[in-house]
Amino acid sequence: MLSRVVLSAAATAAPSLKNAAFLGPGVLQATRTFHTGQPHLAPVPPLPEYGGKVRYGLIPEEFFQFLYPKTGVTGPYVLGTGLILYALSKEIYVISAETFTAMSVIGIMVYGIKKYGPSVAEYADKLNEQKLAQLEEAKQASIQQIQNAIDMEKSQQALTQKRHYLFDVQRNNIAMALEVTYRERLYRVYKEVKNRLDYHIAVQNMRRRKEQEHMINWVEKHVVQSISAQQEKETVAKLRSLKAILKAAYYNGSIPLPFMIRDPLVLIFSNSGSSSLTKTFFTQSSLQNTASD
Amino acid sequence: MNENLFTSFTHPTLLGLPAVVPIILFPTLLLPTSKYLINNRLVTIQQNLIQLIVKQMMAIHNTKGQTWSLMLMSLIIFIATTNLLGLLPHSFTPTAQLSMNLAMAIPLWAGTVITGLRFKTKSSLAHFLPQGTPTPLIPMLVVIETISLFIQPVALAVRLTANITAGHLLMHLIGSATLVLSTISFSMTSLTLMLLVLLTILEMAVALIQAYVFTLLVSLYLHDNT
Repeated sequence: MLSRVVLSAAATAAPSLKNAAFLGPGVLQATRTFHTGQPHLAPVPPLPEYGGKVRYGLIPEEFFQFLYPKTGVTGPYVLGTGLILYALSKEIYVISAETFTAMSVIGIMVYGIKKYGPSVAEYADKLNEQKLAQLEEAKQASIQQIQNAIDMEKSQQALTQKRHYLFDVQRNNIAMALEVTYRERLYRVYKEVKNRLDYHIAVQNMRRRKEQEHMINWVEKHVVQSISAQQEKETVAKLRSLKAILKAAYYNGSIPLPFMIRDPLVLIFSNSGSSSLTKTFFTQSSLQNTASD
Repeated sequence: MNENLFTSFTHPTLLGLPAVVPIILFPTLLLPTSKYLINNRLVTIQQNLIQLIVKQMMAIHNTKGQTWSLMLMSLIIFIATTNLLGLLPHSFTPTAQLSMNLAMAIPLWAGTVITGLRFKTKSSLAHFLPQGTPTPLIPMLVVIETISLFIQPVALAVRLTANITAGHLLMHLIGSATLVLSTISFSMTSLTLMLLVLLTILEMAVALIQAYVFTLLVSLYLHDNT
């Protein structure tokens, strides 16, 4: 790969060699004989999620593990102390004003990190969580939307299967409406016909009634004409004697009152001129009156 | 080792070579970039902080002013990290040098002024006269406003330099006082040490605040001129 870099650099440096970069692949193939070792770091291994463990924020754990077999647990600490004391005593590190500023600065930094470190880390994690949650929510919403669309589509497909119910109902409705219309018309026809027949019957009845009345009147007239004057006088004398008997019977207490209310003779002689006798015996009204007495 | 008070403020040399450039570029190593959405905690916290600061500072500007947001954010991050790193022992703070601060302040201030004069000439010239001044005072006031305008970059630079330098100096002095007192009496030492601790806390706050103030003022000048 270095050869390709060299070639492209040469191309930019000397324009006459502009086409030299195209020789790159050819050069790579030619120099493949030099690549004898195993290809390591390809593909690039994934980066670890957490860094290596450190003690006191500066010294990796591996150092302590390295010294453990020979010196045990206290080895590195003794080494550190020795180095610090050596530097101090030989004045490799001079205690000056800076020392105290260093102490204060580093003390404050350590205190701050120890106290607020976890909360800041939590905050950073929360920020990342929020970003992921947002994307996740968008994804879920999209999935949900598509799922809803699928369900709606399925339900609509199912609906088309059930369309025949709708058609049956409509068919039934129409049949019922037709039936109803037919029956209505039938009834109307019946009524019309009955009307006509009733008319004829009424005409007949009226004719018969009229005939009856006419006949009754004719019969009456002739009967009245047939009664002579002599017969009339005899009948009136009979009635008078009848009345006297009745009166006597009443005053004796053997006949109740109602028979004495209407005086037949008064009735007979109250009407002027006409044949009152026939009226007494043959008219409806006088009969009714006597009946009510 | 330091012989006098000024050694911490001299340009650091490494085997005779100026080592200022690597020192100035060092804070960039502490601010990793990442092309992923979910990062490690350091990157997440830094990105969150920068987002907070951007929202806070660039909200007042209009579209034209917001084109400066990268510049201003870089400025505040640089000043804050450099000041905080300068609190470590035996370290050199680039922002304690007046040359550096002038180099930062003058171009930025000049940029805002020229932007204002170029796009809103009348309105930016009108800033020279505050509203509601009585008429006889106008000429004097214009002169005073011009002077105050030209003092702005100098003030920016000197403010930052003075604060940081004074802080470092004070810490150095109290440190050496503690050193001397440590051989005399222990109680005074502990008192002075306490003072030093408090001062360090103050210095940390000052470091951040100065960065903020610098950037805020530049953004204010920008706001006037866009």
